[in-house]
Amino acid sequence: MSTPRQPTRRDFLRRAANGFAMLPFAQLLHDDGGPRVPHHAPRAKAVIFLYMDGGPSPQDLFDYKPRLVADDGKPFAMKKEPTQFQKDGNTLGPRWPFRQRGESGQWISDLLPNLATVADRLCVIRSMVAEFSEHTNANYFLHTGHGLQGRPSMGAWIDYGLGSASQELPGFVVLNGGLIPPGGVDNFHSGFLPAQTQGSVFRMRGDVVANIAPREKNSTWQQRKLELVRALDAHGLQRDAGGDAIEAAIANQELAFRMQAAVPELTSLDGESPRLQALYGLHDEFEHTRTFGRQCLLARRLVERGVRFVELTCPNTGFDRWDQHDNLVKGLENNCRAVDRPIAALLLDLQARGMLDETIVLWGGEFGRTPFAQATNGRDHNPYGFTMWAAGGGFRPGTSFGATDEFGYKAAVDPVTIHDLHATVLHLLGIDHERLTYRFGGRDLRLTDVYGTVHRQLLA
Amino acid sequence: MPSPTRHAAGLLAALLPTALAAAQNGLPAAIDGAEFAARRQHWAWLPLAEVAPPTADGDPIDAFVNARLQAQGVAAAPPAAPHTLLRRLWFDLVGLPPDEVALTRFLSEPSDAAYEREVDLLLASPAFAERQARHWLDLVRYAETLGHEADYAIPGAWRYRDYVIRAIDADVPFDRFVREHVAGDLLPQPRCAANGDDESVQATAFWWFAEQTHSPVDARQQTSDRIDNQIDVFGKAVLGMTVACARCHDHKFDAIRADDYYALAGFLRSSRYVQKSLFAYDPSGPEFAAAIAAQRALTAAWGAAGCEIEAPAAAVDLRDGDVVIATAEGDGGDWIRDNDAFGAAPWQEPWCSLEADAPPTLRRLPGAWWHSGVAGTARQGVLATQTFTVAQPFVHVRVAGRGCRVQVVVDGLNLLRNPIYGGLHRPVDREEPHWLTFDLRAWRGSPAYVQCLDQRAPDLADEQRGTDEYPADAWLAVQAVIASEHGEPPATKGTLQVQAAPADGVPADVVAAAEALRRARAALRVAPTLPAMGEGTGVDAHVFLRGKHDLLGPVAPRRFLRALTGDDAGIDADCGSGRLALAAAVFATDDPLPARVFVNRVWHHLFGDGLARTVDNLGALGEPPTDPALLDWLARDFIDHGWSRKHLFRRVVLSQTYRRATVADEVAEARDPRNQLHHRQNVRRLEAEAVRDALLAVSGLLKDERFGPPVPLPHGQLVNARGWPRDSGPIDGAGRRSIYLAVRRNFLSPMLQAFDLPTPFATVGARSVSNVPAQSLTLLNDEFVHLACAAWAERLGDARADFDQGLDRSYRAAFARVPDADERARCAAFLEAAAAEHGTSRDAAAPWADLLHCLVVTKEFTFRR
Repeated sequence: MSTPRQPTRRDFLRRAANGFAMLPFAQLLHDDGGPRVPHHAPRAKAVIFLYMDGGPSPQDLFDYKPRLVADDGKPFAMKKEPTQFQKDGNTLGPRWPFRQRGESGQWISDLLPNLATVADRLCVIRSMVAEFSEHTNANYFLHTGHGLQGRPSMGAWIDYGLGSASQELPGFVVLNGGLIPPGGVDNFHSGFLPAQTQGSVFRMRGDVVANIAPREKNSTWQQRKLELVRALDAHGLQRDAGGDAIEAAIANQELAFRMQAAVPELTSLDGESPRLQALYGLHDEFEHTRTFGRQCLLARRLVERGVRFVELTCPNTGFDRWDQHDNLVKGLENNCRAVDRPIAALLLDLQARGMLDETIVLWGGEFGRTPFAQATNGRDHNPYGFTMWAAGGGFRPGTSFGATDEFGYKAAVDPVTIHDLHATVLHLLGIDHERLTYRFGGRDLRLTDVYGTVHRQLLA
Repeated sequence: MPSPTRHAAGLLAALLPTALAAAQNGLPAAIDGAEFAARRQHWAWLPLAEVAPPTADGDPIDAFVNARLQAQGVAAAPPAAPHTLLRRLWFDLVGLPPDEVALTRFLSEPSDAAYEREVDLLLASPAFAERQARHWLDLVRYAETLGHEADYAIPGAWRYRDYVIRAIDADVPFDRFVREHVAGDLLPQPRCAANGDDESVQATAFWWFAEQTHSPVDARQQTSDRIDNQIDVFGKAVLGMTVACARCHDHKFDAIRADDYYALAGFLRSSRYVQKSLFAYDPSGPEFAAAIAAQRALTAAWGAAGCEIEAPAAAVDLRDGDVVIATAEGDGGDWIRDNDAFGAAPWQEPWCSLEADAPPTLRRLPGAWWHSGVAGTARQGVLATQTFTVAQPFVHVRVAGRGCRVQVVVDGLNLLRNPIYGGLHRPVDREEPHWLTFDLRAWRGSPAYVQCLDQRAPDLADEQRGTDEYPADAWLAVQAVIASEHGEPPATKGTLQVQAAPADGVPADVVAAAEALRRARAALRVAPTLPAMGEGTGVDAHVFLRGKHDLLGPVAPRRFLRALTGDDAGIDADCGSGRLALAAAVFATDDPLPARVFVNRVWHHLFGDGLARTVDNLGALGEPPTDPALLDWLARDFIDHGWSRKHLFRRVVLSQTYRRATVADEVAEARDPRNQLHHRQNVRRLEAEAVRDALLAVSGLLKDERFGPPVPLPHGQLVNARGWPRDSGPIDGAGRRSIYLAVRRNFLSPMLQAFDLPTPFATVGARSVSNVPAQSLTLLNDEFVHLACAAWAERLGDARADFDQGLDRSYRAAFARVPDADERARCAAFLEAAAAEHGTSRDAAAPWADLLHCLVVTKEFTFRR
């Protein structure tokens, strides 16, 4: 009979199925052999997704339609699809004036005065279409390319494809401004992908990361405890070899330990100049501008530290997200006030640091809203034509793409599906959306299901 | 103007919808007979091979495994050390670390006979069922809420969890267990608990754990998706086949055609969600009949006292075009009744309700009514019409009562909520007969039925009310359901007659009879309920072309998978859903597919990998078994031993194959790196529940308490969102095992999720085993972990005074062994430092809590070898 032997580094490499304990975290993630990316030269390294939960109103923000102004208050002149609340009213024109902005002359309403100053950075897609009229399905669809719970989120796919470039932070981080969208944290889930790719939710109140704060009175003492743990673990491996999974867990513990230091360092904004903090709105009198400003600034800091996908959810400004079934004016004013300044600051800051070229900033919600009123002072859900915009990371700046009909109701020119958007974002990250697959339940599944076209006209 | 082509297509479509839709939409040609026959030769469809172990002596499993090892020249690992083996056995069978009694008993004399005794003790322990039930819950995406936006409660879902635990504890044969899942509501001989509860019906709850949208724009889509999830779970969990892949087209790889999928869908379209009583349906049962008799005796006592109510004149004046959907006249009509309260036949006599502060007053409704208040309010009832197609725009339902409700279920959507479906769901709160009018103009052409819910019948989406929190004093009477072109209900004659209060008080005989009725009612137990399958109107489903619910193809008669039945014969379903026939068809052959599937799952739980690794998919895209002969032999042995789970577990864990060490020699490792030959055991990280339960066990926080409503999670651990749980629970979960913690879809336990508790959306036979920082952060810093370590240190008590004794006891609790000299020295040095850090003596609780915390963080705690 042979005697058990000590494991060697070669063992770990040979038995790749069970983990690379000594390799960088990014490789640790791909313990199944992982995808082979990039498929082509990437334009961008990271994505910041400014997720406008509830479905912002294009007709009041980006999609200027003179006919809608002219028909305001009149019966709606097109055939209407069924809506969620079935309380359709008359045509509802924009409540705020529109102007052309910057050299590109993009139309942006007066609701977003700060964003208007960076209009030349934006690639505005006015012809988005989605497939669901209810929030939860639409949220899952926007995030995962599938209308039901259980599929991996876009951020998880990108993290799976590229791996985190950070030794201290996970690759997919959600900065939770206060609102968790309908459908819950499953919007950020890893689904069937390795669980490491799941979005780590950082909160803006209390502990940023669950259990990130040591309970020991001082870090020296926690270190001393960990020394004992390390010694006992090492001793255990000496005695009983063959524990690849155990080696990987030890490496993971070290990452967690580093996160305990990295997360406070990340969230401490002391090193950011007062001028920059003011630019982001951190001293704004409106609480929600301060919250979202901090989120935007943290997003930049996360990307700087190698995180691949940062998603921001909105603060709760008191009018049920961007879901203005009523209270259209007050709701939109509050939401825009919360996000307008911070987003403009984020784009300027990224550009000033030379990061915008390599970072995709994506803005939008799960659908748009009807050009006719719900009752009198609201708009119902509308997946048939709405606006999202992207900036940086290889998207063509100062562009408006596609168009809705004259009422801003349905996409009429160059419709862009959610799958198309996913395919295009992956493309800029160096990923062929048809080749980033994962076998589950007997099928090779992908973010774009069996759909998706890269829209090259959107690219710089 | 429509183009000529379009117009022509429109005409054709009207004539030949199926053929045209198929042609227009490129329906792929069905896989033909030859292709189907070829696919049917895939190993999993074939009968079990008649195999005998390669050697007649010794353990049959070892004979199979050792023969392959010898053939490949791979040496098996030596037997595991006794302490390793006992710890493995405990975690695998009961999900807990071995207790001190078992350690002492077994380690003092670790013989084969002693091992066998430990196995039998564990199999007999209730903890075995709690552990194995959780594996089953993974397969049926068990959850206590519906998820989606509002995360509504599934009332009484936890009773299903308890059903599974009881069934495993009682070693209910697995084939019986599956039959109960498919058709437990229809079995001619339901299994009953000692207290009379119907066990079998409770299994059918598993159909209703699908995620549900509360107010979908497209009800038909929602119902199709729900049925898809039901077929998917049934296919994977029971058959190990991805049947749901055949929703849009014939299966790409397996012998499953689209019409197989829709043949199964028919069973589900013919069934309904009903919140069912745990009492076997028996309105003529002795207790219920006694209450009815007491009611009649009370009426008679009034009569003897000269007090009677004449039958009021009754009539409903139907107009041209009014269609009677259902009526309580004559023999009571073609209604579907569940649970007891509406009794065995309509009621047309007077009755007395018993109110606390009023004399028993006679009442009488005009004509015949289904009436839920005659026997009292303990039992509940659900009364429904057959399914009809909405042809007229209005449906009028004539009712009387209070505290109850009536709803119209359209397109099989059983979750009726605002904003869209609020109008389909109406309260009943007047004792005078009146019409409820439902406006169905938006649902013309859809299948629908009227469902009348007695007061104790909770409904999906009843927010967070428990099943036992319903108004006690309520009743519902239903006379007729009329479909009409008219928005106004038909004219009627007759009103509720109420006896005038007698001038000279209530006669003594009546008081006595009322007292007797009160006693008879009190003898009726209040019926707890859970979501279950109910019968609907039998209907075969159409094939949906390309899976789209608005493109109807040919009808697919209800039947089981053609690949298993061998023919296309539909089941004999004269009435109702036909699920009983489906349950029979699953087990009709000598080689039912579920045997292989289940045996493979048990192997997965005991070794970390199935003999076929893709445990939920034994189809063409799954991995074939590494040892098909062993798999088939085990499946046959399982069937031959009466589908006994406990026999199967016993069979496997007694083998030397199971008992091997996890470390083998270099040559073996090189030749069998994935351990497909089972030359050794596998090192495995404990599952989420076992990590938490082990902390409860070692710390002494574990409560020996079984069953019951779920323990809420502490609010502090959750992210606030819609559907926020009403109650917050204690940090330690009241010491209850993890299977008893709340499983609210949108608010799952972060600790369990960090350790890979699956999201309950589909069958998960093989959980992912991830390695995320959240796991380490939980063990390092979580409040519960620190609380448990502090409790553990307290529990050591006097043992802390003697370092060696205290450490030995702690090591045995955590690792089933005593520390070696090196570990002892390191721990001693640490404890000195900890005492200094805390400014206490060495035997104080605080430094020990730190030491114990270190033991918890070491990998040995969360891994089993």
